[in-house]
Amino acid sequence: MKGFMGKILRIDLTNRSISTIDTKQYEQWGGGHGMGSAIFWDLCKDKGIKAFDPGNVVTVMTSPLSGTLTPSASSRTEIQGIGPQSWPYEWFTRSNVGGRFSAMLKFAGWDGVVVEGKASEPVWIDIRNHKVEIKDANGLWGLDAYEAQQEIWSEVNDGENYGTWNQVGTGRDGGRSTQRPAVLTIGQAGENLARNAVIMHDAGNAAGQGGLGGVWGSKNLKAISVIGTGSVEVADPNALLQARIWLHEGYHYNVDEPIHESPVDNMPVYGTITRSPGYATLYIPYTEPSRAKGCTGCYNNCRRKTSSGYSNEASCVESLFYMTEKMEDTHKATDLLQRYGINVYDIMQHGYLRDLYMRGIIGPGKQIHSDLPFEKYGELEFAEALTKAIAFREDIGADLAEGMPRAIEKWGLLDDMNKGLVTFPNWGYFEHYDPRLEIEWSYGSILGDRDINEHDLNWLVHWMPLVCDAVGQEPIVSAQRVAEQISSKLVIYNDPMMLDYSEEGIYSDAKVKMVSWHRHYTRYFKQSMLFCDWAWPNFLSVNNPEMKGFTPEGEPKFLNAVMGTNMTFEEGMEIGRKIWNLDRAIWIMQGRHRDQEVFNDYVYDVPTSAPYHLPIFKDGQWSFDVNLGRTLDRDKFEDWKSKYYTHEGWDPSSGWPKRSTLEGIGLGYVADELAKNGKLGRE
Amino acid sequence: MANVPRKASRRDFLKVGSASLIGLSVGALFPGGKWLDNKIYAIPASGGYLLVDTKKCAGCLSCMLACSLAHEGKENLSLSRIQIMQDSFAGFPNDITMSQCRQCAYPPCVEACPTKALHADEDNENARSVDIGKCIGCQRCVEACPYDSGRVVWNHIDKHSQKCDLCANTPFWEEQGGVNGKKACIAICPMRAITFTNEIPEQNDRGYNVNLRKTAAWKRLGLPSN
Repeated sequence: MKGFMGKILRIDLTNRSISTIDTKQYEQWGGGHGMGSAIFWDLCKDKGIKAFDPGNVVTVMTSPLSGTLTPSASSRTEIQGIGPQSWPYEWFTRSNVGGRFSAMLKFAGWDGVVVEGKASEPVWIDIRNHKVEIKDANGLWGLDAYEAQQEIWSEVNDGENYGTWNQVGTGRDGGRSTQRPAVLTIGQAGENLARNAVIMHDAGNAAGQGGLGGVWGSKNLKAISVIGTGSVEVADPNALLQARIWLHEGYHYNVDEPIHESPVDNMPVYGTITRSPGYATLYIPYTEPSRAKGCTGCYNNCRRKTSSGYSNEASCVESLFYMTEKMEDTHKATDLLQRYGINVYDIMQHGYLRDLYMRGIIGPGKQIHSDLPFEKYGELEFAEALTKAIAFREDIGADLAEGMPRAIEKWGLLDDMNKGLVTFPNWGYFEHYDPRLEIEWSYGSILGDRDINEHDLNWLVHWMPLVCDAVGQEPIVSAQRVAEQISSKLVIYNDPMMLDYSEEGIYSDAKVKMVSWHRHYTRYFKQSMLFCDWAWPNFLSVNNPEMKGFTPEGEPKFLNAVMGTNMTFEEGMEIGRKIWNLDRAIWIMQGRHRDQEVFNDYVYDVPTSAPYHLPIFKDGQWSFDVNLGRTLDRDKFEDWKSKYYTHEGWDPSSGWPKRSTLEGIGLGYVADELAKNGKLGRE
Repeated sequence: MANVPRKASRRDFLKVGSASLIGLSVGALFPGGKWLDNKIYAIPASGGYLLVDTKKCAGCLSCMLACSLAHEGKENLSLSRIQIMQDSFAGFPNDITMSQCRQCAYPPCVEACPTKALHADEDNENARSVDIGKCIGCQRCVEACPYDSGRVVWNHIDKHSQKCDLCANTPFWEEQGGVNGKKACIAICPMRAITFTNEIPEQNDRGYNVNLRKTAAWKRLGLPSN
């Protein structure tokens, strides 16, 4: 099968040994997440260990599409392992990161990197094509994520300038490259085992969720650097080129002559509808000369780079971390996160800390002593002090480095969380979208391990009507069309009621199918084949007159061109189902039971109080509603869970898969292990 | 006009003379204040040129992936005949450099080749191209290119030089390429940051790095158009 390089790098830091795994034995999982979970299952013998245990196995995986012209699927890297961020349980988790890394790893000849054990001293891994070295990182330890990358760039190229051809390795047979090495690294937060530490790459790419940066810190692993000059084989080059042109001509935002564009100039957030370049900062317009910026192989190029260099490549919430009156300070605050390597989602609710200060709970000599300059809240000085405190575990940063939910628990303030004064609806993760309303997101999260961060439906069901409303437009796509067109692509179910977010719809059988489709789609296409979340799937595009979308045609078109297979969309969904079951088994080995899959109290008890656009079906009509006054009903959600478990072939009394289910998808060996541990669902 | 060799016109020549070539001073072009040597006329001008807009480029490297795929049938950044170099931490516009072959009016790579493997291809309106069958792998052409990064690419796998032929020879892409055909990098660039001209550009950066951001739609995005 084309697209694979044939070998996975396996590194045991304890013994400083380097070996390889034959990719073939894991090809059935697609790549990325599927491979990572399968490798974790095989290599992590005691899955009940904590995240910082040296026995934790971290996988860094590419996909067969990495390094190819497949649009927005060429360079995402899936990183997995037991994560310290989730609360109160440290679940096996995942995060993926864009940029250049996975493409470069493929060019160096590797499908992934598996890291085991713990080094006795700080190290970094230097990959130059097939040559791999574990190197002393004492000179890197203590540097921030930007400094560390620049230091490695200099080391790999003997301090020479980039911007020209440089020899890779020794001898001209190794080839030359004009590219800088692609580096994954942790900042000081990871070194100090922050549970909210990320793994950074380039200026604005982070594997942020899960705290895997802290896991690298616990292993004394500072960075992995790779530069490669090899080739990724493609089964049908012409088909891949023509498919890319097909996508450009039919679905791409034409930067010079767009079919549909924002009615307001310099309004990036409208790009959530059009996919105009540089839209990833959402509410932050261009305030200085900039360019759009894309990950390797991207066709949307959602990020941006600025003339000042501040906040380069940052996107979404990290761009919006600390909104101040001075835009330059906002950008600088974002850079602090990137440099220290802190997950913005965990501390995005820094306003709650200020609330505690105003309530007289935090401050000098208060119940929670802190010398942070809360009087400077809103100015850069406070952001500097807060991020530094977390990265170095100083002041209240010592608690916040444990993740904000654990800090709140330690401070005895869980009641605030239960009342929704600070919102962590599932597993201690920040409220990304309203868990009472946008429920394929919240249900998917509570059934998994983290905030899922999968925008598949979200762009059309929520952002589109919201943004249109903001600019004084009627929704450019009606609720009825949204329901009908999306559902026409939700193979194999194709039920419009899957898109009904009404009070009845969110507990319906159709919503069981919706969540199941979503879990299987994302596990395979998005997290294993590594199609970018911000570009795939494509249910509807405003960049063609008919508003056609390229899902489910596009996914198999590209992967078959690269791999030389005849895979159907449905077959991909089945692999997704298999991966979802394997992940389920890992969580069960960690102690998962349906009784734990409940939201924080506020989700059930505190009604929504702000308009929140979503389509509902009421009295035989589709419309976009603002859904005020809604809560999630505990009993109805528990009933829904039972229906969902049954749909997946899991025992509704425990949420554990049945043997027949696992054997039916080739996971009999997983069933054996669960049975041995008394954790197999009843038939 | 498709296959007619195109000589440098006097107008083109004046453009050449209007600026110094990188690596070749004006003095070198006009030794002792004399007119250009006849050998310049012996290498007819290319019938076409890639132009880029480095301020429009998004650094996605899609052009490199397309170039490698169309020519080599596989993905390899090191084999791409157009190179995009970038620094994540640098500020716009100095963070990205686009390096495309200039199809030089006076091509040092052609001059340096001892076997005439690197030649003006009459079948492709004199685009400077490598006849791989004649290439002996001496890499003099690679060294002769005066630009950073060099526009003649050393194929370390098959051991020969190669360079931009304006997609005249793309065995892995069904489209008709060449001076009068499609070019993979242009077709694939999502930012429309690469274009093509038949007119010989000024032989300096300004001639090859042009402003493709003058549309009203671009300005409405909030991106700089100057």
